[in-house]
Amino acid sequence: MARILIPTPLRQYAEKQDSVELPGGTVGEVLGALTAKYPDLKKHLYNDEGKLRSFVNVYLNDEDIRYMKKEATPAAPSDTLSIVPSIAGGSTHGR
Amino acid sequence: MVNHAQAAYPNECCGAMIGSIDGESKTVVRAVALDNVSFGSQRARYELRPEDLLRADREARQRNLDLIGIYHSHPDCGAYFSETDLKNSCPWYSFVVLSIQNGAFDHANSWLPDADQTKAEKEELTWPES
Repeated sequence: MARILIPTPLRQYAEKQDSVELPGGTVGEVLGALTAKYPDLKKHLYNDEGKLRSFVNVYLNDEDIRYMKKEATPAAPSDTLSIVPSIAGGSTHGR
Repeated sequence: MVNHAQAAYPNECCGAMIGSIDGESKTVVRAVALDNVSFGSQRARYELRPEDLLRADREARQRNLDLIGIYHSHPDCGAYFSETDLKNSCPWYSFVVLSIQNGAFDHANSWLPDADQTKAEKEELTWPES
């Protein structure tokens, strides 16, 4: 049972919990268990093709899974998964 | 946030807002200045490291608070939510934009992007006078 930390704005789709413990041997399986338990979360995390949305990063403890085995990264019961968005922007005034 | 935005001028600054949520009302109790890691000129661009945001979220949880939004500055232009902001944001958080004119704070607005990142709704924003 790995632990997933739920970002504040998404807790409304997860019975207002700030973290949940879910089964799964890989990051993908744990995320799958999360969206199976809380289907309303799915559209916030995945695009129509079933892939993680472009701005969604997943960390296994302190490591970005993109630099590991992505969603095939093994997840142990002692692991904590964090969902962290990519954020950028700017005024777009050309200078 | 104002101090950070003025200190960063003429570049854009960025940071995390930590606080609490009560229904539709969000209260910022701590602003965490984060590095602007946008490559090249930062006068009209900002980018956060996801790792920094992860640390800010952990700090919030340790204080029994929540990560409720992101702030950044617009040097010498208005506190609108630009197309660049919209396309590169995340539709989960409130985004406060601070307008810094000639190095001094001018005004601020808070924005909430929709799930499709096609538009952002302006939120009511109030703050103490002092």
